[in-house]
This record gives sequence, C-alpha cells and structure tokens, in this order.
Amino acid sequence: MIRRAGSQLFSLLEPFLGLLLVMGVFYLLDSSIRFGMADVRTISVQTVVTGIAAFGMTFIIISGGIDLSVGSAIALSSVVGALMIQADWPLPLAILASVVTGALCGLYNGLLITLLRLPPFIATLGTLGFFRGLAKKISGSTPVNADTLGMEAWVNPFPAEDSPFHWMVLAPGVWLMLLLAVLMAVILRFTVLGRHTFAIGSNEATARLCGLKVPSTKVKIYVLAGLLTGLAGILQFARLSQGDPTIAIGLELDVIAAVVIGGGSLTGGKGSILGTLAGAFMMAYLRNRCTAFGWPTYYQEMIVGHIIILAVAVDQWRNRRWSRS
Amino acid sequence: MKFRALPLLISLGLPLACGGETEGAADNLRRIAVIPKGTTHEFWKAVQAGAVRAGQESQDVEILWRGPEREDDRAQQVALVESYVSRGVDAMVLAPLDQRALTQPVSLAMGRNIPVVIIDSGLDGEAGKDFLSYVATDNFEGGVRAARHLGQGLPEGGKVLLLRYAEGSESTGQREQGFLDTIRGEFPSIDLVDPKRYAGATRATAQEAAENLLSVHTDLAGVFCPNESSTYGMLLALRSRGLAGKVRFVGFDASEGLVEGLKQGHLHGLVLQNPMQMGYLGVQTALRHLNGERVETRIDTGVRVASQGNMNDPEIQELLHPDFEAVLGG
Repeated sequence: MIRRAGSQLFSLLEPFLGLLLVMGVFYLLDSSIRFGMADVRTISVQTVVTGIAAFGMTFIIISGGIDLSVGSAIALSSVVGALMIQADWPLPLAILASVVTGALCGLYNGLLITLLRLPPFIATLGTLGFFRGLAKKISGSTPVNADTLGMEAWVNPFPAEDSPFHWMVLAPGVWLMLLLAVLMAVILRFTVLGRHTFAIGSNEATARLCGLKVPSTKVKIYVLAGLLTGLAGILQFARLSQGDPTIAIGLELDVIAAVVIGGGSLTGGKGSILGTLAGAFMMAYLRNRCTAFGWPTYYQEMIVGHIIILAVAVDQWRNRRWSRS
Repeated sequence: MKFRALPLLISLGLPLACGGETEGAADNLRRIAVIPKGTTHEFWKAVQAGAVRAGQESQDVEILWRGPEREDDRAQQVALVESYVSRGVDAMVLAPLDQRALTQPVSLAMGRNIPVVIIDSGLDGEAGKDFLSYVATDNFEGGVRAARHLGQGLPEGGKVLLLRYAEGSESTGQREQGFLDTIRGEFPSIDLVDPKRYAGATRATAQEAAENLLSVHTDLAGVFCPNESSTYGMLLALRSRGLAGKVRFVGFDASEGLVEGLKQGHLHGLVLQNPMQMGYLGVQTALRHLNGERVETRIDTGVRVASQGNMNDPEIQELLHPDFEAVLGG
C-alpha cells in the first residue's frame, strides 16, 4: 500500500527530476552564482505565455497531432485584444475576444484536419502563415498600442509594494498558469475527452473501431488548445503592453520543445501536463542561468538544443527497458 | 489522366503571368523597387513615406514597396532582390539585412544594369562600384553621441550595461562599437559591462534578455540599447524592477512607447535617425542617376539626441513623430 502510494508520488514528481538534475549541474559548476527568489519570479513569469500555450499543445501531441500555427495564433489574439481595448471595450470583453479568437483559430485548424483530411503538420503550416498575415492586416502592420488597464501587473515579476498582488510572491499570471496546469491535468486524466485523446494518439484505427468519434474529438482538442492559445495571447499583450503582429515568431518550436522535454511523444499517446510545465520552466531557467554565468547567447542555443535531444533519448531508453522487463 | 497536364499548364502559365507584369514596363513609368528590412516597425513606415514622397515629385515614377515578413529573414530578402532583378525594374533601393549575404544578389542586379542604392545598413564592397551609393545614418557617430549623453549624466561614474541587438547586423554593430569606444576613451570613471548578450529580433525576446540581465547586474548606473525593439524591451524590464528613472537609460530610434517613456523620465535620451530623409534621398539618388547625373557615393542623413529637455523643439518633434500618415494616407 505504502509502496503503491510512493510509486504514485514518484510518477507525479518524475517530470521535475530532469529539472532538478539540470539545476544541480548548474549549482555544481559554480555555487557562488546564486539562484534567488528574484530569479524564480523572473523565470516563472517568462514561462507563462509558453507554458499556457504548451498545455494545449500537450493535448494535441498526445492525440498524435501537432500545431505549428500556435505562435501566429498568439500574435493574432494579442492584436485582437489590443484592438478591442483601443475601441473602448471593457477589459473582460477584450479578454474574452482574445480567447475566442484563439478558439476560432483552433476550430479552423481542427476542421481543416478532419474535413479535408490534411495531416496536422500541413494544415497548421498553412494556418501559420494565414494567422500571421491576418494579424498584420487587422493591425495595419504596426504594433497596436493600447492601455493595459492594470493587466500588466498580472505578469510583472516584481510587483510594487503598494500593488494588490504584492502578497502573492509570484505574479498572478503565474498562479493562473499553475491553476490551469492542475485543471488541464485533471481533464487529461479523468474525463472522457482526456481518455479519448490518449486513445486516438495510441492507435487511431482501434479507437475508431471501438466506436469513438475520432473527428469530433479531434476538433474538440484543437478548440481546447485554441482557448489556451488565446489566453496566452492576451497575456502576451499584457506583458508587452502592446499588440505586436510580429510577436512570438518561432515560439511554436519552444512550445513543442516544452512538451517534448516533458515526456510527450510526437508519435502520440504519451505526455503529461506537469511534464510540459517542467519543460517550459526548464527552457526559461536555462536562458536565465546562461546570462547569470555570463555566457554568450550562442552557448545557450547549443545547450537548449541538447537538452531536448537528451530528454527524448533518456525517455526512449527507459521505455525500451520497461518493455523488456 | 486528365489532370496530368495540370502541372505542365501551371508551369507554362506562371512565366506568362510574370511576363504580363514586365510587359507593363513598356509604358514610360520608371519603376523603383524599395526593399526595407521589415515592414511592421514605425521606422520603416517613415522610410516608406520618404520614398513615396520622392516618387511623387516626378510624374513618371512608380515606387514598389515590399519587404521580407520577418526582420531577420535574410533568405527571403535575397529572394526578393533576385525576383526584382528577373522581373526587371529600373532601379533598386535596398536596406540589406546582412552586410555579406546580400552582396551576391546586388552584384547580380548591377550586372544587369539595375543600379542599387544601399540605405540604412552597410553592405560589403565599394560604393560607386559594387553599388551606386550608400545613404544612411552614420551609425558609429550615433553610438558616440549616445555614449556622451549617457556619460555626461553620470559624473560620479558607475556601472554601465550594453544590451546588444542581434548577431550580424551591421548598423547596430557600428552603434555598439561607437558606444564602447567612446565610453572607454572619454569616461574612465565608468565601469563598462558588455556581457555580449543579444536582445534578438522581437520586443518579447528583448524583454526576456533584459530581465535576465537585470537580475544578474543589480547595481547599474546606466544602460544603452542600440535599436527600437531592444530599447523597448529594456524599458519594460526596468519598469517592472522599479528601476525606471533611477538608472540613466539611453536608447536608439523612436516609437510611441519610447516617446512616452522619455516624457515620463524613464528614458533619458533617444538617439534619433531621420528615416524619412533616408527613404527620400535613397529614391532621389537613384532617380538622379537614371537622369544621367553624377551622385555622391556616401550620403549622411544625420543623427540627433532627444531628451526630456529638447523633445518639444519642432525639429525634434518632427523626428519623434514623423508625419508618414499624411503621405501614406493613414
């Protein structure tokens, strides 16, 4: 009984082992370079946009799909949010508009994949360009400057003494991300949608033979991911205090890397929300430490690249051992 | 079976479609392609306005404005230059994304008798031979002016940080060099920190890089950033740390957000170029050459430093808020 609880606890914390390992390595390299609360605050805020978008990507990757358009969709929904605020919409409506924009992007992806039977890689490669172009069109190709109406405090790593969020230690946006992580983990593990996501990713043909409605489930997955992307978009606006149509170029690769470092498999059927969270945090952590150690930007790129390779290699090695025993 | 001819038809049709455009050149319009580094920054809107204005001054000129979608996509800019060469324009005005990568396509154009005026950023080679003329800000001088403006406000000295912009960008590299040389040469009491960290292409990457640097260097007296996006990212990071206004901060170029920062005293200086003049003189130089005039091989468009004290002077106002909407029609 105790053993079982122990192993459950272990599998829950497992995604963070790699992170602890990397942190240990940096500590051993030079323990005089401190890693304090200020760093934790900064890194956690830098994780928010990538992390929230990566939760959606986790569902998609587990179902055997991929979404290359996520960076463009973030830019589009952040521009939409900024335009709504500029047009004097109240803040909750502007946030809703961003989230709905993200969901519509997801819906479009999902419909292309299921109705036209396109491989997700191709469909979202196409919408990557489409969403980006649309963001530029509606913003007139320039960043949309709008008042953040206090939203910037949600993603401010260092709230002022008189800020209502001062007692929270971490920024409200970070807590929102952690809350969403728990929510998404519950959806993934304990709901029909979550179980079907795993079923489709493990073996789509079997899932279909079992009577599972594969296309409608897929559309639901992309819409759910889109909702999260839209939320990431409005938070990106809050962080920059402008809706920039050229923002988040290449972010899709960071988002996918976060899922993969966290144990997600691009062949589907495998992945976890907590793993993704650890993966997203790991990348922000590495960027922060390379700066603290005074290493030039190119070392950071070389290191992050190999962390991805190493994470997947270790994962596959463990899978082989597990299937043998 | 029926569809097998389709690719053939398409491949036949494409050159015809492109041919249609060159046919249009039979009228007496002179076509000048203006190729910026990107199209989304306000800086490039002002360049565009200047180019359009120069075009409007003659009756027979058409300005073709087109840039790569991403500011750091060299391959796309190379392809763009090549496609204008094969399409056949009368002259080209180009802001090269890379001082080396664009030399090949430019020499291709010059070989086909299409004169190329380089604006904004330098290109390897000799002006007057490998390309027609170089119309730009003296970027090194811009860095020198930034260093003096920063240093003179710090009589006590202290730690000064440089956040670089991007690898391989000639114009910002010159600004960084001008800044470093001047601080080292003229301000011995300043302790210069150059961690060789780059802000990257977007404001978000700049913001992250700045946040990380500020958590390492906590005792700064001054900061310099060499372009708009890095300055904006640093401004946000300084604000979130509660350091805005306390650290002497000099940036480069102007945008709505930066002018606001200057007004609030969060920024102590902005080195301003004259992008409208750059676009204007770029096109005008090309036209003068086409008219058979001799043109200078190097044209300086000048820099000014804006501060809270002089930002309401009409001359500075014109640089802070270039009125491109009047030309481009909003």
